[in-house]
Amino acid sequence: MLKQLKSTVIIAMIALVTLCGAVSCNSSKKLSKKEYKARVEAATRDLNAILNNETEWTLEEQQARVNEIKQTDFSKKNPEIVEMIERAEAKIAREMAERDRLAEEQRLAEEQRLRELEEQNKPKTGLAEFFTMIANAKDVTTANNAIKEALKLFESPDAVVLIRLNNYGDYDRPTTAVNYLNYLKDQKKVNVGIDNIKYNEENKITELELIKK
Amino acid sequence: MKKVLFAIAFAFFAFAGYQAFAQEPELSPERKQAIDSLALEKVRDLSKYVKLIGSKNTPWSEANRVIDRAEELFAPDAEIGVSSLSKTKIEYYKVRQYLERLMRLNYDRVEIDWYKIQYVSDLQRQPDGTYVGVITIFQTFKGYDAEGRLVYQDTTKKDITVYVKRKETQIGGRLIGFWDVLLGDMRVKETTNK
Repeated sequence: MLKQLKSTVIIAMIALVTLCGAVSCNSSKKLSKKEYKARVEAATRDLNAILNNETEWTLEEQQARVNEIKQTDFSKKNPEIVEMIERAEAKIAREMAERDRLAEEQRLAEEQRLRELEEQNKPKTGLAEFFTMIANAKDVTTANNAIKEALKLFESPDAVVLIRLNNYGDYDRPTTAVNYLNYLKDQKKVNVGIDNIKYNEENKITELELIKK
Repeated sequence: MKKVLFAIAFAFFAFAGYQAFAQEPELSPERKQAIDSLALEKVRDLSKYVKLIGSKNTPWSEANRVIDRAEELFAPDAEIGVSSLSKTKIEYYKVRQYLERLMRLNYDRVEIDWYKIQYVSDLQRQPDGTYVGVITIFQTFKGYDAEGRLVYQDTTKKDITVYVKRKETQIGGRLIGFWDVLLGDMRVKETTNK
C-alpha cells in the first residue's frame, strides 16, 4: 500500500514539473499583453528621444538601442513604431556620416597644421647666408636668384637698411633692401654683421641694422 | 663814423662766427677714422662699378643699374676727366655722360683696374661742418679688338675730391645721424702708356 502511494506521488511530481516547464517555455516565446505594452511604451519613448535629439546617448548607443527595439515585431499592432525605427535609423546614419566627415576634415586640418609646423621648423637660409651667397655667386643669374629669395624675407624691397659705422651713433647713408643686396652682388664682399632686425606681424623684415666689421 | 661802426659790427660777427665754429665738438679719433674709411670705401666701390660698367660681359640691364648706383656716389654737378695718349686735351664729362660712354666704348673687351687708392689730402673740416679731402687713384685701361689683341693701353692718375657731411633723418620714429659721402670732380693728373 505504502509502495503504491509512493509511486503515485512520484508520478504526480513528474507531471507537475512537466506542466510547469511547458507553461514557462510558452511565456518566453510569446509576450504577455503587459510586457508588449511596456515594450511599445519604451520603444516609443526612446525612438522619440532619438528623433528629437533629446538623448545623451552616443550615435553608437542610439543605433544599439534601435537594433534592440527591432528585435520585437511591432509591424502588426504598431506600424508607427516601425516607421519611427526607419526614420531613426536614417537620422543616425546621416549624423554618423556628418560626424565622420567632420572628423576627416579635422584630421586633414591637423595634418596640414603639422606640415606647416614642420616647414617652419626646417632650417631656413638665414639672411647672413644669403649675403654670403650673393657676394660669392659665380654669375649674375645666380646672384639675382639669391637676391630674389632673400627679398622674400623682407616686408618690401624698399625696407630700410641702416649701416652703423661704430658705437658712437654714426651711420652710412640709409639704403634699401634691394639696393643693399645688389650692392653685395656688385662689390662681391660682405664686410658687415647683422646687428638688429625689426619684423612685422607676418614675420617679415621691416628694418635691418647692420654694423661694419 | 659809419665806417668805424661797420668795422666794429663786422669784427663782432666775424668773431661770433669763429666762436660758433670753434665750439662745434671735434670728432674723436675713432669717429674720424670711421668717416675716413667710409669715404675711401666709396671710392673703392666706384672702382668696382667702373669695372662692371666697362666690362663687355656685364648684361646691358645690369650695366644700367650699376650706372644709377655709381651716379648716386657723386655730387650733382661733378665731372670726370678723360685723357688719351693720342690727345693732349683732357675732356671733362658729367658723371652720367662719362659712365654711359664707358659702357659703349668701341672695344671688344675692356679691362679697367684701379689701384693705389689713398688719401693725398686728409679730410679737413670746413667752416660749414663738411669734411673735404682728396683721394688719388691709379687706373689702368686696356682695350682689346675682336682677335683679342691689345689695341690700347694707358695708366692714368686721377684725383677725386670727397665731401663728407653729417646729416640726420627720421626712420621708424628714430633720429638717425649719418655721414653722407659725395664724390666731387675726378681730375686727371697724368697719363702714361704703361
